Amino acid sequence: MNYSLSTLWHERPRYLPGIGAVAFSAVLIALQCGLLLGLFKITSIPVDHTRADVWIGSPEVLSVDLGRPIPMSQLSRVAGDPRVAVVEPYYQSFGSWIKPNGGSELCILIGCSLEDDSLGSITELTPELRAALTEPLSVVVDRAERKNLGVNIGDYAEINKQRVRIVGETSAGLKSLAGAYVFCSRPTAAQVLRGVMPKDHITYLLLKCHNPADAEVVAAEMNQEYKDSHDMTVMSSSQFSTRSRMHWLIKTKAGIALGYTALLGLLVGAVVTSQTLYAATVASAKEFAILLAMGIPRWRITSMVLVQSFWVGLFGVLLAYPCIHALAWLGTLVGVFIPLPWELLAMSGGITLVMALFSGLIALRSVRTIEPMSLLR
Amino acid sequence: MSVPDEDVTLRGISLIRAFTDGAKSRNVIDDVSIDLHRGQVALLMGPSGSGKSTLLAIMSGLLKPDAGQVMARENGRWLDIWKMSPREREQFRLRNCGFIFQGYNLFPALTARQQLEIILRWGDGVPGKEARKRADEMLGLLGLAGKEHKKPAQLSGGEKQRVAIGRALIKRPRFCFADEPTSALDWSSGQVVIDLLQKASHEYDSTIIVVSHDHRLLEHVDVSYQLEDGRMMENAIPCPTDTWRGHQ
Ligand SMILES: Nc1ncnc2c1ncn2[C@@H]1O[C@H](COP(=O)(O)OP(=O)(O)OP(=O)(O)O)[C@@H](O)[C@H]1O
Ligand SMILES: [Mg+2]
Repeated sequence: MNYSLSTLWHERPRYLPGIGAVAFSAVLIALQCGLLLGLFKITSIPVDHTRADVWIGSPEVLSVDLGRPIPMSQLSRVAGDPRVAVVEPYYQSFGSWIKPNGGSELCILIGCSLEDDSLGSITELTPELRAALTEPLSVVVDRAERKNLGVNIGDYAEINKQRVRIVGETSAGLKSLAGAYVFCSRPTAAQVLRGVMPKDHITYLLLKCHNPADAEVVAAEMNQEYKDSHDMTVMSSSQFSTRSRMHWLIKTKAGIALGYTALLGLLVGAVVTSQTLYAATVASAKEFAILLAMGIPRWRITSMVLVQSFWVGLFGVLLAYPCIHALAWLGTLVGVFIPLPWELLAMSGGITLVMALFSGLIALRSVRTIEPMSLLR
Repeated sequence: MSVPDEDVTLRGISLIRAFTDGAKSRNVIDDVSIDLHRGQVALLMGPSGSGKSTLLAIMSGLLKPDAGQVMARENGRWLDIWKMSPREREQFRLRNCGFIFQGYNLFPALTARQQLEIILRWGDGVPGKEARKRADEMLGLLGLAGKEHKKPAQLSGGEKQRVAIGRALIKRPRFCFADEPTSALDWSSGQVVIDLLQKASHEYDSTIIVVSHDHRLLEHVDVSYQLEDGRMMENAIPCPTDTWRGHQ
C-alpha cells in the first residue's frame, strides 16, 4: 500500500532502527548457519571429495573420522556381489604428529589407493601428488594446515613414532575439526598404523556400484543381509556424509548454540522492530484518531501497521544480504569459509521477514490505544 | 418536548455529562438542549472549561452522555445515535460526519491530495482514480490548486487548515464538527476558513457546528450559542444577516 511506503520513506530516520534490527537478525542467522554449514562440511570431506558410492565401516560408526578397524576379510564378502563393480580398502585413523621441532599435533591419517580411478583418493590429490606418494613413507598435507604441522615440503616428521617425509601439499583449504588431514598410500598407512590397528585390518571398504544411482538401495540391502553378524555398517556416501555432519552437530551441541543465538537475534530484532513500529504509530495517533472519528474502521489502521512491518522487514532483509556477503568475504580473509547457498539466504530472509510481521502484530496494541476523544480538548 | 421544525437535523436533548476529578463528580454538561439546522453554521462559544469540546464530542457520537439524547435526521428518519451499537455508530459517522480540529492533524508523510483521498478510499472504498479526481476538485474549491503534491511541512498554517477542511468535507458530510478551527490562524486566514465552512454548509446543505473563542466569527455564522459552566446561556442567537449570504 503506497501510504505505508510514503510514510516509511518520509520518516526514514524513525524506521531505520527497525530496519537495522531486521538486518541484524538476518545477518546473524545467515552467518551462524553458514559457519556451521562450513564447519560440518569439513567433517565429511573424505566422503564428499571421493568417488565411492557406498562405504562399509565398523558397526554403528557415527562419523567418518570415528571408524574403527574392520577385518580385511570382509572384502571377500562383498567382492563377489553382482551389484558391486569395484571394492577398495581404505585406511583412516587418528595419529599423533610430531613436528620437526618436537611439538605435537593430532592428525587424521588417510591411506588410499593411488590409481587414477581410485575410489578413496580425494579429488584434490593430483596425479603428480599421487605419483609422489608412491614413495614409501611419504605423506601429503594441506597448505592450510602445513604451518600448524610445523613442516615444509621435503621435511621429515613423525606419525605414531614413524618417520615420514612430506612430499607435497594440496591447496584446497582441507581443514578438519579434530586434526589435520594427512594423505598417504595404503602401504604407508599400514606401516604407520601398525601399532594401533590389528593385523589385516582396515578402516573402510569403499564400493563402486554398477549403477551408482542404486547406492542407497544396495546399502540398505547389504545392511539387511549382514545384519546378523553385527560386524559392519553399510551406507551410501550421501548417508555417511549426512551422518558425519549430524554427529558433529549433535556432539558439539553447536546446533543448540545456533538455535539459541538465532533465537536471541530474533528476539532483539523483534523487540526493536516492534518498538519502532509502536512509536511510529503513537506519533501518528492524532492523524489516525481523525480517521476513526470520521468512521473509518480500525482495521484500516491495523493493516497499515502490518503493511509497514512488511516493508520494514523487506528493507531489512535487502540491507542484510550485502552485509552477509561482505562478512563472509571478510571471513575468507582470515581463513574461515562460510558457505552461503541460496537456500540458507532464503531461509534467513524468510525467518526475519516473519519476525518483522510478528513485530507488527505486537505493535498493534498501539492501534488499540488510539482514541478519537483525545482530539477534543 | 417541542416538535422540531423542518430544517432541524441534529438535536441534543437534555444532555448531561459528568466528569469525576478526584473524589467529586461535576456536571461538565448540565442539562443542555440544542437544535441545529441544515445549511447553517452554528457557533458555540464560551469560556475555557465551559464544556464546549465535551458537548461537541457528545453531539458527534464520540462521547456518551450520562443522560439525554442526541437525535440525528438521516434521509428523513430520526436516529438516536446513543442508542446505536458502537458498530452502527461508527458507520453512522462514516456516512455523515466530518471533523476539523485545531491542530490540523495531517499525516506528515502524505501530500495534500493523499490526505483527502485516504478518506474516500478507506472510508467508502472509492477507486483510486475517482478518489484522486474528487480530491483535486475539492482542493481547487479550497484555493489549493497546484498544491496537490505538497506535504504539510511545505504548507502554511492556513493552507494546512484548508486541507483539513477539505478532508472533513470531501465526503460531503451531513454533519461537520469543528473544534477551534481558526484559533491557530491569523485573522485573515481564520476568515477564509470560516467563509469556506459557510459556503460548504450552503452548498452541501450540511449542518456545521464550530467551537471557538473568537467573537469576530460571530458575523460570519448563522447562529451562535453561549455555553457557560456546562449550561446553555441564551438559546440560539441568530446573527445579523449579511447581505451576501442571502440564505436563511
Ligand atoms: N476526560 C476528562 N476527565 C476529567 N475531566 C475532564 C475530562 N475532559 C474534560 N474535563 C473537564 O471538563 C471541563 C470541560 O472541558 P472541555 O474540554 O469541554 O472545555 P472547553 O470548553 O472545550 O475548554 P477550552 O476552551 O479550553 O477548550 C473542564 O473543566 C475539563 O477539566
Ligand atoms: Mg475545547
